[in-house]
Amino acid sequence: MAHQAHSYHMVDPSPWPIFGAAAALLTTSGLIMWFHYNSSVLLTLGLISMLLVMLQWWRDIVRESTFQGHHTPTVQKGLRYGMILFITSEAFFFLGFFWAFFHSSLAPTPELGGQWPPTGIKPLNPMEVPLLNTAILLASGITVTWAHHSITEGNRKHAIHALTLTILLGFYFTALQAMEYHEAPFSIADSVYGSTFFVATGFHGLHVIIGSSFLTVCLFRLIKFHFTSDHHFGFEAAAWYWHFVDVIWLFLYMTIYWWGS
Amino acid sequence: LLEDLLNFKSNLRQISQRTISTASRRQLENRVPEKQKLFQEDNGLPVYLKGGAMDGLLYRVTMGLSVFGTGYVLYELMVASMPKKQK
Repeated sequence: MAHQAHSYHMVDPSPWPIFGAAAALLTTSGLIMWFHYNSSVLLTLGLISMLLVMLQWWRDIVRESTFQGHHTPTVQKGLRYGMILFITSEAFFFLGFFWAFFHSSLAPTPELGGQWPPTGIKPLNPMEVPLLNTAILLASGITVTWAHHSITEGNRKHAIHALTLTILLGFYFTALQAMEYHEAPFSIADSVYGSTFFVATGFHGLHVIIGSSFLTVCLFRLIKFHFTSDHHFGFEAAAWYWHFVDVIWLFLYMTIYWWGS
Repeated sequence: LLEDLLNFKSNLRQISQRTISTASRRQLENRVPEKQKLFQEDNGLPVYLKGGAMDGLLYRVTMGLSVFGTGYVLYELMVASMPKKQK
């Protein structure tokens, strides 16, 4: 058996990167076929293969770390850098949509009636469901921190309870937002107001769903004893992502919902 | 008779408690050491196939979808890039 003289992880050759690239090709081409030729075959194929690649790639990482022990402190440091860089790139992604919002709302054109919200748009009351959603996400930030402390203190029962509560709060947020979308008196087609509102909050909602899924996987791993009190980076990464989603919401709430109403 | 009855009840309770707690205890037991043994076995298998037969099946399905899909994309791109002759 070969031994390495360094603390890095030389991974086994894996098919997931190239299959992932193929899945991205199928998904993007599928979007084109759906937009322009009214066919959703490719898109479906792309999304399914994307899901399969993600499940297997991340399953393999769990195997390499928890079951094979390849995640030395050096490797973990690299993963921390990676997750921070990824979240930073997501922050820039949202920055673009905030830019678009301020571009249109700071100097509303005559076509909008020279005002913001534009003439005829009845914005959602920021003191109703949006305020509740703010409270929900803030509370979920507290529960996920409680879960983290419980893990480091070796309190299995509390960790499971706190993480479950975090996930339930996430689902509650998503359900309330879905209801708001359904009940809103304006649609995405209602001038640039609708565009900026639904694209920004929509992408945020997608990230809440992604974050909730990540936390759910962590819950399963927590129950199955994968985490130790001093090595649980998967959970930390999920918690970082969740806090990021919370912060984005706070900006959305303050700018689009509150200032923009 | 009363003593027998009490013993019977207490034994019954013990048995039912033991059965239920054993069954659910196995699911809540730490199975990580078993997994560690499986994935550290020196069998030359790469990590994406090391878990068993299901790994191979999932791999083949993913590959099938990707390869077929890529071919289909190329076909559709060819079709989309040919101008439709209008009379």
